[in-house]
Amino acid sequence: MIIPRLILCIVLLFAGLFVFISATIGVNRFKKPLNRMHAAAMGDTLGLLLIMLSLVVWRGLSFVSLKLIIVLVFFWLASPVSGHIIAQMEATTNEDLGEIEVLKPDEDI
Amino acid sequence: MELFKVFLLAGMVIISILIILAIIRSAIGPSMTDRVIAVNMIGTMTIALIAMLTIYMAEDYLADVCLIYAMISFLAVVILTKVYTGIYLQKKQMKAGPEAIADNLASQPELRSATRELEMELPSETSSDSETEVIS
Repeated sequence: MIIPRLILCIVLLFAGLFVFISATIGVNRFKKPLNRMHAAAMGDTLGLLLIMLSLVVWRGLSFVSLKLIIVLVFFWLASPVSGHIIAQMEATTNEDLGEIEVLKPDEDI
Repeated sequence: MELFKVFLLAGMVIISILIILAIIRSAIGPSMTDRVIAVNMIGTMTIALIAMLTIYMAEDYLADVCLIYAMISFLAVVILTKVYTGIYLQKKQMKAGPEAIADNLASQPELRSATRELEMELPSETSSDSETEVIS
């Protein structure tokens, strides 16, 4: 009974760590701040979800699991707000914003 | 039981290394926005670290620390961003808002089309030279 749960927890934990690793690589290798924000927001949502899910599955139904879920919900509410504010700051203060590539709706990739 | 703690320890070590890499990015980031992004990501990874430490040490009060840290990290990002934008706009003698963004975009010639879209939404007194040079 405990072995499948252990395997599930380990898989979820390392999936979250993989997302965090790729977010850090993206932040370190992209060139423009808006691209870096894109990479960092991935770790904010998916990485934290996977790690919290692993811990909640391991702990089972308890008060600590409820608190961890509350942390996750609060962070999901706060992270888009901070992302919006950072992008607003970037659009306001960056004097060399450069060309922003936007795909038109009728354009093939 | 004890096997999962080994994996948690390995995960905490990996996250610590990632935090060090993010600190390096926040130190060498060319613009202020890069630093704020790196600080935001350090906050996220510290929340994950404290949550893993809660299960590792089996100390339940650390979940409260995790929640408080999430709030303080969000507040830090908001205050850093607002203060830097305020200082920047104080030099240009402007108020924060869509007018400041449109003014910044108008000084960059390759972004004229984006500026025009912003001006169509706003009642603006800008002259019509930007409307004649629409690229798309």
